[in-house]
Amino acid sequence: MQEVLPASLAEASRRARISLAVMVGSVLLIGLVVPWLANAYWIKTLTSSLALSIAAAGVALLYGQLGLVSLCQYALLGAGGWIALRAGHGLGWPFELSVLAGGLLSCVVGMLAGLPALRLKGLYLALVTMMMAGGFQVVINVTGFPDGGAGWLGRVFGSERLMMPRPALALSDAAYFRYVAVWLAVVLVLIELHRRTRAGRSWALIRRGEAAAVAAGVNILRYQTWAFGLAGFCAGVAGALLAGGVGQLDGRAFTAGDSVMLFALTVVGGVYHWAGALIAGLLLRAVPALLTDFGVNGYLAMIFFGLALLHALITAPSGIAGQLAGLIESVRKRLPGAGKDAAS
Amino acid sequence: MEDYLPFVISGLGLGAVYALSGVGLVVLYRSSGVLNFAFGAIGAIGAYVAWSMLEADWPQGLAWCAAIVTSMLLSLAYGRLLAPRLSHRDPTIRSIATLGFALVVVGFTEWYWGEQPRRLVLPTDAGAIDFVLGEVDVRLTHTRALGLALAVLMMGGVGLLLSKTRVGLKMRALANDRDLSALLGIRVLGVDTVAWVLSGAFAGVCGLLLANIVRLQATLLTFLVIPAFAAAIIGRLHSLPATVAGGIAIGVLEALAITVPGFAAFRTATPFLIALAMIVFYRTGTRQA
Amino acid sequence: MKKIQKKIALTFAVGAVGIAGAGGAWAQSGPDCGLNTGKPATGEPIPIGAVVGKTGPDDFSASGQAAAAYFKCVNANGGINGRPVDYIVVDDQWNPETAAQVASKLVKDRKVVALAGSTSFVECGANAKMYADEGVMVIAGTGVPRECFNARNYVPVNAGPRVSATIAAMYAAQKYKAKKMVCIIPNIPSLGNWACEGPKEWGKKNGVEVETIAIDPGSADATSTMLQAAAKKPDTIIMNVPKGILVPMLAAAEQQNIGKKIRFVSAAPAYNADVPKAIGPYWKGNFDVNLEFNPLESAGPDNRNWLAVMDKYGAKSDPRDTFSQAGYLAARIVTQALLKMDPKKIDRASVTDALRKVSDFRSDILCKPFYVGNGARHNANNSGPVASPDGNGWRFAPGGCLTADDPELVDIRADEQKMGLK
Repeated sequence: MQEVLPASLAEASRRARISLAVMVGSVLLIGLVVPWLANAYWIKTLTSSLALSIAAAGVALLYGQLGLVSLCQYALLGAGGWIALRAGHGLGWPFELSVLAGGLLSCVVGMLAGLPALRLKGLYLALVTMMMAGGFQVVINVTGFPDGGAGWLGRVFGSERLMMPRPALALSDAAYFRYVAVWLAVVLVLIELHRRTRAGRSWALIRRGEAAAVAAGVNILRYQTWAFGLAGFCAGVAGALLAGGVGQLDGRAFTAGDSVMLFALTVVGGVYHWAGALIAGLLLRAVPALLTDFGVNGYLAMIFFGLALLHALITAPSGIAGQLAGLIESVRKRLPGAGKDAAS
Repeated sequence: MEDYLPFVISGLGLGAVYALSGVGLVVLYRSSGVLNFAFGAIGAIGAYVAWSMLEADWPQGLAWCAAIVTSMLLSLAYGRLLAPRLSHRDPTIRSIATLGFALVVVGFTEWYWGEQPRRLVLPTDAGAIDFVLGEVDVRLTHTRALGLALAVLMMGGVGLLLSKTRVGLKMRALANDRDLSALLGIRVLGVDTVAWVLSGAFAGVCGLLLANIVRLQATLLTFLVIPAFAAAIIGRLHSLPATVAGGIAIGVLEALAITVPGFAAFRTATPFLIALAMIVFYRTGTRQA
Repeated sequence: MKKIQKKIALTFAVGAVGIAGAGGAWAQSGPDCGLNTGKPATGEPIPIGAVVGKTGPDDFSASGQAAAAYFKCVNANGGINGRPVDYIVVDDQWNPETAAQVASKLVKDRKVVALAGSTSFVECGANAKMYADEGVMVIAGTGVPRECFNARNYVPVNAGPRVSATIAAMYAAQKYKAKKMVCIIPNIPSLGNWACEGPKEWGKKNGVEVETIAIDPGSADATSTMLQAAAKKPDTIIMNVPKGILVPMLAAAEQQNIGKKIRFVSAAPAYNADVPKAIGPYWKGNFDVNLEFNPLESAGPDNRNWLAVMDKYGAKSDPRDTFSQAGYLAARIVTQALLKMDPKKIDRASVTDALRKVSDFRSDILCKPFYVGNGARHNANNSGPVASPDGNGWRFAPGGCLTADDPELVDIRADEQKMGLK
């Protein structure tokens, strides 16, 4: 990434604080403004977008920081959603607790899924995680998601399916959108804090090579597994929020292909910048919704998507977010104040 | 034994096609380092082309050739026009790019041909090998027997190609170290072309067989590439005989799983479970893929 | 001499009446829709919506297309007492999340007064509660899973896979004296544990044993399923699967020659113009399908009207299949109900009331009169004829419509009694 190098550590830490504030501010601003501008269709769509951005942030963490490819994150999203639905319907837990429970389960499963990563790298790891996603697809197709019934699986039979109860202060669609935006800001801050502390440095060393990391005294098992856990947590939280937004989840919508698309579009959005996760969420939900709104045939939309994916991968290695960041940087350099920054 | 024989036989047919798909995937991987997510899609469009020609009463042989040629051309187009632009990226990104290509091909196929129940009938469907054991009577159609024979033949053929011919040697060198091979004077684009065309031919044959054995439906055929990846994993992305054996084993075990009472509903997960088990129990040190 | 004169006079009289009748028919040569004024409607549009599953494992959009054609015809013939219908169809892409979004668009953004002609595999479960909360009625073209037949505000015009499979089983028992049957159903929740229970429970009351095999619709291995079904040694196998899965399963059964000893019957999805050719001559005489409506080529006036509406107001590429019949019927039901209302007082609440009052809707496409009523669930269409593939077409079994004797329909029968219907 091209950046004007700061002249001192104080300058660097000031910059870091500002960028954190900008990130949180932007997300909260989106949360505030969009419900005033959007109609019911778009509020629902963008709520799903934001929820998926949380999952994309986890994928970006694994790939951007550690170079590890996980093609089972959407399955972890489903697992988190399952737990949240079960807790919400069956146990009557408050919404936040259900979300955290979903995040926690996916964190643990993510760490287990990450264990092969200690031995496998690159494409092989991608394949293994894809196999896990395939297995989850079959299981969730059979068991389905809880929708208010009793029993282990929580499926209702003989009466209407229930929607997941939303948090008391976010019952309407607009309020729920803002609620999800807050969760997104929290998760992005969590990831960013990890990046800036010991964990982030350890990940950078692991990425350089195991020999370098071990020589520097980094516990690879702990930090790599922790990265998988954090990515799993993001996916679980996203699943729970998605369940709350739509009201219910359907077992047919969690295929291995969805996990692969999540990874692909996260790469297209950009894995080195927090805005990449936001763009990934938009690509996953808002762009298809736009095409549907215009009445574009679903299969023509698929062709468009495939072409866009190819184009983005070929022309933009750091994703759309990277291109935007580069654009902003080059605009800033031309501003009159830029010269002063470099000099001091 | 009587209870299981029908499922062993029925699993052989599907297993053969998993094996063939697996070989096609491993061949391309060994020669270009790319896992081709578009393998199923390219085969599917070939099968649709064959169906259209058969509906228009063209001769059988011509329809099959058209199918295989379509797949080869599409594979070539990707390999020569799009893949070189990504050759400097890491293998996962190059594989994900083939997913983009798969979406384009599937989208076009579904849009152009639409959704209508179709059946690809091959002349080899007419005959079958009968297996009778007591009261049980199960048949292995000639199409499926052909699939099995092809899987073994192709495995041998490609193995010979890679180990005994110059082209095969160059393909292996390219997969090992692209830059070094280019420095040594290996014509990178030319060898890549051979690899992609060969993979396309495999895709076309697999597409015809799968469309006949499973169902002529583009989206399903495209995502059948995921169980085929399981066969490739069993072969550790390297050994062709292991891939073939793995593919056949996956097919047979998936069919046999129907007899296990609690597991029958989950039997489509069999390829994934076997692949995962292979990874866990058969580790050969750190694998750098 | 007098006799001959009488005969000539009679001939002339008959001829005159015939010509007058033909002239009368000529005067009304377009299809019959709504008020039939021949003049386009110009008032304030009435928004009506539909959710169809177009992009996905199958294309159900024909019902939306047929309803659109009918509403176009209505608009060209005076509309709803002067007001045209603004018909909006959306595609839910077989994804429940998308179904919730597009239904939100129709109900909350476009403020439709009702929905007509919806056909979707996923939207009933996703949206039934929202429709109930918003007080909007859906006269659906075709419903498939359980939720479509168990909702207060959702009224499918078709019979449903459970009723259809029950009729197929009843037919097999009646014609082939079958005592043991196997019912094959996809294991989709609220379909896999519901639709084959109809034949099963009917069978329990009538001395027929019915076992269920639930299959994974994405499975690549149809042969093992057919072998498993055959291993249970049934007299009849009931196929209760969509036509895309039916064709490869019958192909697998053909390859294993299972049709030699076992009879095959199917629920309604198999009745389609492409199926006889796709499954081939092996199944001639050994495959019976229950239909949810009367045959596509039947000569009844309403069926002819449907075809005429499609020819004049639909596109040439719109399929003329059972989904299309269903969409046409749904649009007709809504139009008839709206025409009875005061055009200035058409809003969601009054339309919902009017639709609940629909009670003796007759059409020769349906076996029995259709109704909506105030019940907690709706399954008014529960009878249909049986057909069998014959070359490239269909041959119809004598005996006409069979009514399903499914024990679960007991509350529907009670509602029918309360409404005073036969």
